[in-house]
Amino acid sequence: MATTPTAEPVQFDLPVIDGFELEERYRLLLRPDELMPDATGELRRLPRFFLEVDSWQTALTTQLTEHFTLSEFMVVDVREAPALRDFPRHIPCAVTLLAAQLEMFRREAGAPVYISANGGYRTPAHALSDYGSTHCWATAANIYRIGDEYLDTRERIEKYGRIASRAMPGCWVRPYGNVKGYADDHLHIDIGYVVQIPHGTPGERAQDL
Amino acid sequence: MRRQIVEIGERAGAEALAVAFYDYRHRLGWSYHGDRWFHAASTIKVPVLLGVFHAVDRGVLHPYSRVHVRNRFISVADGTPFRIDTSRDSSPEVHQAIGRTMQVRELARHMIATSSNLATNLLIDVVGIDEIQETLRELGLDGIDFRRGVEDMTAWAANLNNRVTAHGLLSALRVIADERHFSPESCREMLDILHAQEFKRGIPAGLPEHARVAHKTGEISTVAHDAGIVFLPDREPYVVVILTEWGAEATGRHSMIARVSRAVFEHVSDGDNTNG
Repeated sequence: MATTPTAEPVQFDLPVIDGFELEERYRLLLRPDELMPDATGELRRLPRFFLEVDSWQTALTTQLTEHFTLSEFMVVDVREAPALRDFPRHIPCAVTLLAAQLEMFRREAGAPVYISANGGYRTPAHALSDYGSTHCWATAANIYRIGDEYLDTRERIEKYGRIASRAMPGCWVRPYGNVKGYADDHLHIDIGYVVQIPHGTPGERAQDL
Repeated sequence: MRRQIVEIGERAGAEALAVAFYDYRHRLGWSYHGDRWFHAASTIKVPVLLGVFHAVDRGVLHPYSRVHVRNRFISVADGTPFRIDTSRDSSPEVHQAIGRTMQVRELARHMIATSSNLATNLLIDVVGIDEIQETLRELGLDGIDFRRGVEDMTAWAANLNNRVTAHGLLSALRVIADERHFSPESCREMLDILHAQEFKRGIPAGLPEHARVAHKTGEISTVAHDAGIVFLPDREPYVVVILTEWGAEATGRHSMIARVSRAVFEHVSDGDNTNG
């Protein structure tokens, strides 16, 4: 017997773009499906499919989950490549998976979760992308504040890191510390090098395999 | 003039004093110990301002470019991270923006008007120490030794400090007043920012009320400085730099700078009366 949903699902209507079809000026910077070394030198394949966002207003009104809008994952500063600070902008589809996990984290933390500038999606052309961090997959978030608490002490970073590990199965939390690979003024959470390939997108071509 | 300046310094008990001014009306400059080096304190923010707007004029930055506000910096001495002490910084507004972004022009205004150390280091980070040094070299500002961001205590312990001479700061301010090396828009923006200065106990305190001063102060335990461009009605401006060094417990620093400022004002005003 068919059932009907009991609550209105969160929905958004953004076009999904194949990175291979983007104009060259975007493609050269976003590097869809290219390999990029991670911090350990292992090669990782960058996302190919992107949500296309035509304006900041669209980003602000695109509700990925109950408490996270797409805009929260898109705040970058002057360190992002100039062509990629303008609209339309392209965000890897897996941002929706991160948002869903952060929603669970927010529930467990019991307070609003604030993602920092440059702390959501950063393209491979961003000045901070000196290696392929999960920010280039839109699967990482740098959280600088939860409720009224700034995450700039060991105590707070480790406290919320434990909550994240509990609430987000399979997530990775950057350990506290002040050397490369550690964090001491924010909480870095990511869900790994995940790509999302939505229904209706082109499949792999045999000659490319 | 020299005797008057020396007397003011001696009466106040300053350990060292340097003064330089240049009057655009009479095309006349004068200095006392103009090449003596002092710890720059916050007057180094004027050369940083030049570096920022040089980047703007080169198209590397835009005044409306957004910068991530983050309180974490790397020491030039050994690469260790450090933070600006929130309780000691004079601008809570910038600290309240941590995690978000502010525009380059907003940060520049806070760096000068409220002397925000956080805004200063953010701008140094985004422009680059090497690039700012290169700008100062291009401008021929030999009397400015820019080495690092502010509150870099590891660098301080390693004796890596920002230093200035009165001639150096005078030349830096003349770069802005002359409108020769920068675009007119950038010069106007820099002047507007310097006019927004909120600490007025130095040069402005020695001037008549109708004077307007675009300036930058600097103070740590052993130095107190002020450097600015003075605009008076119906005459071209003059630039004045007053650098002072003190014992850690000394008082009366600002009033002394105000007295020197008054002496310079009277000197240029006398020149106006003499020369019509």
